[in-house]
Amino acid sequence: MTVTAPVLQVRLLAPVAGAQALTPLLEALVEPGEPFSAERRETLSRLSRAILQDAGLRADAASVALGYWLRRANVDRLAQDFDRRRAAAPETVFVPVGRVFHVAPGNVDTLFVYSWALAYLCGNLNVVRVSGQPSDVLARLLGVLSAQMEDDAELARGDRFITYEHDQAISEALSRWATHRVVWGGDDTVALFRGLPLSAHASERTFGSKFSYSVLAAAAYLAASEEAVDRLAAGFFNDVFWFDQMACSSPHLVFWIGPADRMDAALDRFHGALSREIERRRHRGAAASALHRLSFVFDLACETDLRAELAHPEFLAVRLPDGAVWRREACGGGLFTHVRADDVTQVAAFGQPHDQTVTHFGLSPAELATLARQAGTRGVDRLVPIGEALAFDTTWDGYDLIGDFLRRVTVRAGPQG
Amino acid sequence: MPSASLDALLAAGPYALPQAEKRAILVERTRELTRWHYERCELYGHLVDRIFGGRRALEFDRLEDAPYLPVSLFKTRELRSVASGEVVKTLTSSGTTGQAVSRIHLDAATAQLQSRTLVKIMQHVLGVERRPMVFLDHAGVVRDRRSFSARGAGILGLLPFGRQPFYALRDDMALDLDGLEAYLASTRGQRPVFFGFTFMVWQYFVEALERLGRRLSLPGAILLHSGGWKKLEALRVSPDEFRRRAQAVTGIETVTNYYGMVEQVGSVYLENARHCLQAPGVSDVIVRDTNTLEPLPPGQAGLLQVVSALPMSYPGHSLLTEDLGVVEGCDDPATGMHGQYFRILGRLPRAELRGCSDTFQKPAPVPA
Repeated sequence: MTVTAPVLQVRLLAPVAGAQALTPLLEALVEPGEPFSAERRETLSRLSRAILQDAGLRADAASVALGYWLRRANVDRLAQDFDRRRAAAPETVFVPVGRVFHVAPGNVDTLFVYSWALAYLCGNLNVVRVSGQPSDVLARLLGVLSAQMEDDAELARGDRFITYEHDQAISEALSRWATHRVVWGGDDTVALFRGLPLSAHASERTFGSKFSYSVLAAAAYLAASEEAVDRLAAGFFNDVFWFDQMACSSPHLVFWIGPADRMDAALDRFHGALSREIERRRHRGAAASALHRLSFVFDLACETDLRAELAHPEFLAVRLPDGAVWRREACGGGLFTHVRADDVTQVAAFGQPHDQTVTHFGLSPAELATLARQAGTRGVDRLVPIGEALAFDTTWDGYDLIGDFLRRVTVRAGPQG
Repeated sequence: MPSASLDALLAAGPYALPQAEKRAILVERTRELTRWHYERCELYGHLVDRIFGGRRALEFDRLEDAPYLPVSLFKTRELRSVASGEVVKTLTSSGTTGQAVSRIHLDAATAQLQSRTLVKIMQHVLGVERRPMVFLDHAGVVRDRRSFSARGAGILGLLPFGRQPFYALRDDMALDLDGLEAYLASTRGQRPVFFGFTFMVWQYFVEALERLGRRLSLPGAILLHSGGWKKLEALRVSPDEFRRRAQAVTGIETVTNYYGMVEQVGSVYLENARHCLQAPGVSDVIVRDTNTLEPLPPGQAGLLQVVSALPMSYPGHSLLTEDLGVVEGCDDPATGMHGQYFRILGRLPRAELRGCSDTFQKPAPVPA
């Protein structure tokens, strides 16, 4: 009697083909490319144009940001960084890490493209597992990739975008195949994959759940011009609302550095500017978001001495009085908690290992350096101006992603002749 | 607590007061109740202080400006305005398995107020004479008399309006057709009242009779049902289809729905001749924009807030529900009923905030 293993089936999304057996799909992926080759750079800039020309994607701010990130000038900048990396290591030849298995998160539809694009630039073969949750943006991005595969042989040969329901056997097979696994998608997903062995020679990068917050200097904010305050509101809006405040780098807490008697004025100005921005963009969140925020705040208010303002459309502002215990509450959908602090040291003391992005305004270079050192030691990975929370960077959660996707071959020449 | 406004609402009868007059009295009563709970329920006091701006929130001139609680709060917090020793009954919502349930604490005064009000409202459809009563449920649902599910509470609330109660389902939910026919034979000519939860009526009575190919002939009887359309919506059964097929298979002409919730027992909303839900004198609805939570005028759909003059032992007099609805009109001469009437448009979908960690979540189990 022969026992045949069940055929593992995944749904191929780009190139579009529907249900596919996993084994032949993986066997077809051979021969990685050359890091930062002209062809690979061209592929990304063509993708950039296709994304920016797609009517549906043009209406989605996060996709537009992705389109800009993939454009030639930015890819060339990454290539120059790579040249500098090579120049700094004359005895190293950089080769692709090989076969990369990407597990994309379920909440940020554009993220899988960033993760893939960097690995692709580095010359790797890629299998990207995207979320099975229906999303128009995701479908359009995959459509753009599929279309390009029709006349881009290198892309079509080495890259597969797939999805599958939670299936341990498929995740295991992909993990065995990979020489590098990158897991986005929070603590639960990371824990799930940590249990699945990689090849003894493979490496891994994981991105767990993160918490992010904002820090503003109250005096600087109150002294800022109307235009500066409006620009800041637009930036804060992007940071919070692009992904329903569910992205890891979206702020939930807003720290105000300054004396107690400036808080009312600062918050009034802040809420007024944000309301104008919401009005200007005619932003309407999901129907259930308002009740979700409200129920969350009522429950929170049962045990926390807070002050809430229900009057603002599309967001709910909670203020903790001085002396109240600062809490890490991530509700999502437009809820943020204002707290006052005396200085950045007090803010930094709040730090935890899973902190990620601090978005800031009005801090002096010295204050930023102090916060970076003190909060960074405890966990924070990046401090960026308000409005740049979601801007993707090749350094993410403190890790060098380009470095992850390359392998270093040391070469020392011997005596000649 | 003696209350002139409550007395005025109760004395007038459920559908006698024109909307404007009723609103004025209900605002006064709601102010009374808001203050009452503010002073007696510590948690409610905290919430008014922390979310509605404190004591100044106790003074309002429009019902729309009264503080409210999201109805889900009764699932996570114990909200009580009387000492625990005063509680005579604790009601719980039905809720699907594994979900948190609301817990509503009643003292004798509130329980009595609720049943007194329910009598007045139910007499409007059932008349004053007590008629044989058939419950489309099994007897086990009312066995524990200290703690009731919403289904049990609904049945116990109706019990006083009938006599010779008969439970038409067996413990396994199968229709006891032989028993029912014997019961109907013994009460022939007495126009029985049938009562059950909408979904139970549909699945275990209407569909069961259809499957058996049996048609009853009960021209003078009444079928009352309540309990939400969520499950019927999933089966794509509209209120019209429910009524039509129930009428066809039972011969009952009067098929009447009512809207109520365990958090506001007593002040229920009966289906009127327009097939809309009619607010009785002791309660009213406010429709709010789902995004801004601002009150909306009649004709515009939004989240339903329900205000009731009755709850005294728990702060449930002003609640924001998760139901969507629209006010269709008020003081309609065609129905002969005063007050606002509205339609329910379904349940607000749960917030679909996607966390980064949900990539590999197993699909959520479908509620039973």
